[in-house]
Amino acid sequence: MTTPIADHIPEHVPQDIVFSYDYHGDPRVTSDVHSSLQSIQNDAPPIFYTPKNGGHWVVSRFDEIKKVVEDYEVFSAKEMQIPRIENPPFFIPLNVDPPNNIPYRQALMPAFSPKSIKILEEKVRHWAATIIDDALAKGDGVDFVREVASVYPVSIFMELMGMPMDRLWEFRNLSEAFFSTNDQEKIHQLSGQIIMTMTEILEEKKANPSDDLMSHILNIKVKGEPISLGEMQNMCFLLFLGGMDTVANVTGYAFRHLSNMPELQKRLSENSADISKFTDEAIRMFGVISNPRIVAKDSNVFGINFKKDDMVLCLLPISGRDDRKNKNAHIFDIDRAKEDSNTLTFSSGPHMCIGSFLARSEIRILVEEWFKRVRKYEVVPGTELGFRMGFSLALTHLPLNFETV
Amino acid sequence: MVKIVFVSHDGSDRTELDVKAGGSVMEAAVANNIDGIVADCGGSMVCGTCHAFVSSEWFAKLPEQSEMEICLLEFVPEPQDNGRLCCQLEVSEAIDGIVLQLPAQQR
Repeated sequence: MTTPIADHIPEHVPQDIVFSYDYHGDPRVTSDVHSSLQSIQNDAPPIFYTPKNGGHWVVSRFDEIKKVVEDYEVFSAKEMQIPRIENPPFFIPLNVDPPNNIPYRQALMPAFSPKSIKILEEKVRHWAATIIDDALAKGDGVDFVREVASVYPVSIFMELMGMPMDRLWEFRNLSEAFFSTNDQEKIHQLSGQIIMTMTEILEEKKANPSDDLMSHILNIKVKGEPISLGEMQNMCFLLFLGGMDTVANVTGYAFRHLSNMPELQKRLSENSADISKFTDEAIRMFGVISNPRIVAKDSNVFGINFKKDDMVLCLLPISGRDDRKNKNAHIFDIDRAKEDSNTLTFSSGPHMCIGSFLARSEIRILVEEWFKRVRKYEVVPGTELGFRMGFSLALTHLPLNFETV
Repeated sequence: MVKIVFVSHDGSDRTELDVKAGGSVMEAAVANNIDGIVADCGGSMVCGTCHAFVSSEWFAKLPEQSEMEICLLEFVPEPQDNGRLCCQLEVSEAIDGIVLQLPAQQR
């Protein structure tokens, strides 16, 4: 255990916008994490300062979050650990501000573009079908999070990267451990372990290149020069983490929510064309990644004085629930109008999620394959659901009873 | 005021905007809730979800594309040679009357 960090409010913060919120485990948050966060959004000022975790700013509403994540000159992405730590993890290109992030984005973009994702669709569908069949074979009470939501995106991602599939659970466990700790020593140890494993695979690819993303990363050139092993390691590290814990948790929360909506289940099973609308709505309501930023220079934004090195946390997971932006924002409605469907689940600006197209396809295809097999389902009655907070919101398990088609 | 015309993919829907010069065509489209312009990244040129197609006459008149814009347009769902990202087009007298054909899908 690490020693808890003392509460802190710096002098430049006005008292009337201080509001206590614990990023890593707030007492007001229940397993219905998004609804709990939404009630905090309603009670707190749109931008407030919490004394918890060493003290930091929190931005909870759509317009304000959009401005922060797009304004990289004031709100830099170079550091993202709250509370701040020495030698924080550094990801390429996530922690590189423009213009230096652009060559890396440009190199990775083709693999994650709509055109490439469309080509990948049949492989994605194969994984969805296989994984759902295996899970349903376990019968009632099957843990959807463990057997489906967590295995599925990892499998696709590893295939895209060209990672050896016999290391699936090793990767999943490393990722889970990384995201669930706030302990500096553990973070360093796990980062080292992850990077070492990725390096082994990179070395193998160097000897035996094939048509996969890791082999492509070995050939990336920035300004005509090959990138260093260190840069490759960093890039792989980010892609690895980004591909593991994100889709798994959005999917988990979406399936949990849908379990309480039998009429919508019926509609989706009868009209598979509506599943892409369901996907969009699930992404609006159940984002899981928050965006921390560090203030690069003393600035006055929104009429608030930010000091250099202040940490700023953007609560992307509730950006789509902002009732100032979307009408009836708290209601899950797959028929909502475009102007009421705004969300920053994938963030915005120069660091917007590069995997967003892949993520949307993965979720849509999983739901399509699910309703080809399942007529209706529910969470096993009496289940107490576990969850995690922090950089990534997670649902730890979701046991389901189901009726097959 | 600058006139900008958006035509839906199948040609069934045509929206004419009269907007003040300044800002980008993408911003004008978002502010006027044009269906078919998604603009996920808010104009940072990393997503390609505000692309549209223009006639060859208009294409020749528009400012040159950057390397990143060319790259993004190559990887949209259905690439065409006459694509532009609306976030890279400035609303000005120079584009008065431009007609932008929207793609079937942005992503």
